[in-house]
Amino acid sequence: MLSPSTTTRTFTENLLRFILGSLLTLSGAVMAKEKTKADHWAFTLPQRHGAPAVRDTQWSSRPHDAFILKKIEKAGLAPNPPADPRNLLRRLSFDLNGLPPTPEEVTAFKKAFRENPDTSLKELTDGLLASPQFGARWARIWLDLARYAEDQAHIVGDNSKLFYPNAWLYRDWVIAAFNRDLPYDQFVKLQLAADLLEDNHDEDLVALGFIGLGPKYYRRNDPLVMADEWEDRVDTVSRGLLGLTVGCARCHDHKFDPISTEDYYGLAGVFASIEMFNRPLDGENAKKPADAMHIVRDRPKPTNLKVHLRGDPKDLGPEVPRRFLTILSKNENPPSFQKGSGRLELAEAIASPGNALTARVFVNRIWGELFGTPLVTTTSNFGTLGTPPSHPELLDDLAVRFMESGWSVKWLMRELVLSSTYRQSSDFSGTKLEQDPDNLLFSRANRRRLDVEMWRDAIYSASGTLDLKVGGPSFNASDPNANRRAVYARISRLKLNPMLALFDFPDPNLHSPGRYKSTTPLQKLFAVNNPLMVAQAEKFSARLHHDAPTENTRIQRAYQLLYARKASDEERNLALNFLNTGDKDAWQNYAQVLLASNEFLYLD
Amino acid sequence: MNHPQFPILSRRQMLARMGGGFGLLGLSGALNKAGLLSASASEISVGTPHFAPKAKRVIFLMMNGGPSHVDTFDPKPALAKHEGETPTEQAKAKKKTSGFMPSPFEFKPRGQCGMMMSELFPQLSKLADDLCLVRSMHTDQPNHEPALLIMQSGNPQPVRPSIGSWASYGLGTENENLPSYVAISPGRPVVGPQLWSNAFLPGEHQATSIDTNNLKVDELIANLRHPKLSHDAQRRQIDLLGALNRLHSEERQRDAALETEIKSMELAYAMQAEASDAFDVSRETDAVRDRYGRTPFGQSCLLARRLAESGVRFTQVFYVDSKNKQPWDTHQDNDGGHRRLCANSDKASAALLSDLKERGLLEDTLVIWGGEFGRTPYSQIDKKKSKPGRDHHHTAFSMLLAGGGIKPGTTYGTTDEFGMHVAEDPVHVHDLHATILNQLGINHEKLTYRYSGRDFRLTDIHGEVVQGILS
Repeated sequence: MLSPSTTTRTFTENLLRFILGSLLTLSGAVMAKEKTKADHWAFTLPQRHGAPAVRDTQWSSRPHDAFILKKIEKAGLAPNPPADPRNLLRRLSFDLNGLPPTPEEVTAFKKAFRENPDTSLKELTDGLLASPQFGARWARIWLDLARYAEDQAHIVGDNSKLFYPNAWLYRDWVIAAFNRDLPYDQFVKLQLAADLLEDNHDEDLVALGFIGLGPKYYRRNDPLVMADEWEDRVDTVSRGLLGLTVGCARCHDHKFDPISTEDYYGLAGVFASIEMFNRPLDGENAKKPADAMHIVRDRPKPTNLKVHLRGDPKDLGPEVPRRFLTILSKNENPPSFQKGSGRLELAEAIASPGNALTARVFVNRIWGELFGTPLVTTTSNFGTLGTPPSHPELLDDLAVRFMESGWSVKWLMRELVLSSTYRQSSDFSGTKLEQDPDNLLFSRANRRRLDVEMWRDAIYSASGTLDLKVGGPSFNASDPNANRRAVYARISRLKLNPMLALFDFPDPNLHSPGRYKSTTPLQKLFAVNNPLMVAQAEKFSARLHHDAPTENTRIQRAYQLLYARKASDEERNLALNFLNTGDKDAWQNYAQVLLASNEFLYLD
Repeated sequence: MNHPQFPILSRRQMLARMGGGFGLLGLSGALNKAGLLSASASEISVGTPHFAPKAKRVIFLMMNGGPSHVDTFDPKPALAKHEGETPTEQAKAKKKTSGFMPSPFEFKPRGQCGMMMSELFPQLSKLADDLCLVRSMHTDQPNHEPALLIMQSGNPQPVRPSIGSWASYGLGTENENLPSYVAISPGRPVVGPQLWSNAFLPGEHQATSIDTNNLKVDELIANLRHPKLSHDAQRRQIDLLGALNRLHSEERQRDAALETEIKSMELAYAMQAEASDAFDVSRETDAVRDRYGRTPFGQSCLLARRLAESGVRFTQVFYVDSKNKQPWDTHQDNDGGHRRLCANSDKASAALLSDLKERGLLEDTLVIWGGEFGRTPYSQIDKKKSKPGRDHHHTAFSMLLAGGGIKPGTTYGTTDEFGMHVAEDPVHVHDLHATILNQLGINHEKLTYRYSGRDFRLTDIHGEVVQGILS
């Protein structure tokens, strides 16, 4: 039987899509092996595309809507009607700030929406984009792909001198960058070469933590271990910023993409020419990491690498000058980097409108976060083995307009969330399910499960205990008294916080192209038994007792706080029946049920 | 009722669509869990490995720090003859050594098969005819961290899934009320949780790790019990949660994802009961608990047996304690250290094997015993300490295997006269991994996962099944 579909998939479903996608494109990819640069869509520069002609000329409210509508109409379907204001508000609050709306915000927004839906949505969006919580929400997306962490997977003895006690300075820089709408090209350049830019500011140096907080492996300075570290840098930069799996070319030419081992060692040479560096915070000597920011600098003498034949650092081939990838260069023989390690030239080659991938890759990630499914489902692999975009013209047009906006991330978000595509409801009918079970057409909103950070923040928010302070040193997420937003939790490569690990937080030893959404019994045991849940339920219950005088009003208050709606009669009766046993902890236990519920965990 | 999002595929259709390649096994397990295989397909494909498995589950006993092969399972009389001579390759290295150091322990043939084992393993010696001794193990690195990671994941850097995660990914679980992969460790080994990491495999293949310094079941597994609620009160609570979730789902056309959440909650409740039982060694009689030894390692082995019995696919026991992250790392007083460690390990390991055998479980449970590498046949002298130790040694060491279709009473491979290098039939860690997967019915070359544009394997591009030890 075909099912009502949803988009918050279990990992198995994602896995299946991924494998099917890969397999179905495999044969094509093999044939494409010999093809040249012009043949693969992602290696040619994105172009503007005019809006396609559509039958329903009223529906679109943003340029990209027409591309979506065109395919929906072609399938003989129609887009979903807009979601109701409650769901729109909840969706926007979580999407832009990672937080639920307060009951007061719900009331105010519903009123404004009745008066003028368009204006109310614009005002809501602008308010959320201007909130300092915006950066706290979106920085986390970046930190996943930057494999941000504050220590190492290895610890020898009790030696923690390779750890990064001030890593949070980088995290805070990323938060501030989103909040001040730092143009994405600048954002990238600063993270790769803040120290080398002509007009550089000391407060941006910490951005170099993008590389400087990378993993340091055991027995550094062993040639093989250093080669492994360079691969981490190449991998993070190439998959994270370019959507290319350049790491594959460490041992042999890439099997499917036009990336040679020379390309790999040309890039790896840049990272072999820099060193991880603890820069003193006070300008004096940093005796220990705790007195420093953790960044990188050029080595006095940059070096080219010789190709490691089959990845063996003892079996060396020809030397390769430090340089950018051939496939993304204008020239068949890309020029060598001239300045120091070449980091600045690398940054400029990536953060450039002349780079076919950078804007596309970023725009696609943001789309995926906001709509639940990216246009290119292999977000960090735009090569021939990646999946092609579901809406190629939309992706290209949006990428170009993003660059034309001055690479403004807030422009991009505003563009997307104010669209008719975003505004649709998540309901579905039988026909739509049969014709578009996976919602590849975006003919409805995807129902989405909250990330662990959002869920945790929402729980603290419901109990009225969430501290919204922006920035500062990391806290221990296992501390029962901690009440800061999850983005400020200490992230460990050695031992990831158990709650984060349980709810699909990615392994911070590696770039993460996106999160799995697994649904497991162990997660449910957390929801019903973990002391954090029990303590928060207690606080939530206390808040309800403080806010509302009777059983009935307390139930309604709970529903407003958690779900932004009234409880139905049936829900109320179930609650009253549960509460009427006279158990002194009944309210607390009820409060925990509501916090553990699916409605609290999902966005319609 | 589950609402799959994908058209239901038969195994045949699936094979046709995939071209029969990689990841099939993991995929069919995953498909079945998601309810995406038709009933007839799931009958033959789920838990149906690449070929008939000899082992349904694995228990891997890891001697952290690296036991000395020349003191345990690989007798080297030449060490006595050449005592004090510096091995040629060490002459240059200027290590503090007083040369070859003979083992003070007596070796004798054991069992019908005549397997040579030292006096340090009186109990395991009695089981010689059930054991397969591989003397020709070797690995790539002489340091704990990379060597442990190679043993656990086939790669010296902490960025690959561990062997238990691969097994879980490939075969799914035998008992859906229990985790498929459990890492038991009384204390924290060197490297730590990366040793049982799922890395880029989906989150559900990470090990459930437990610290057996405290055996109380509530504290052993996180979130197994509500801190306050009675059983009945929690049942009421979960019933209410289920009712509200069902209302929510019914208003949303019983969305597949929502139904999966509901099902997971029901499973969690079942797991609570079942895990409370499976993880509770206090349910064993005193006689049984004594048989394994009342040490953290002994009770961990007993727990491993309970888990294997309950259908946990892959269980690892790390030999560590609350004070020592790698007790077998005998740089000083090698002899004294081994006397103490082997006594404990011998008792527990032998109890595990005979207990499994008595319960008819050894047949389809593969048990592995060994460290990340061996120890040098020559001494390591620390002038401050009077008693000599042995250093790390990765070019030759010994491991034991038993059950799960491994040929019993077998000694496989040899080392040179001093135990410095493998002489015949080398077995690299990749080969061991290939063999373990083989016994589970998995072709190690076909169990792959596409990540970062590449198909990853536990054995990377290496590994050959050691045919000579299969029964």
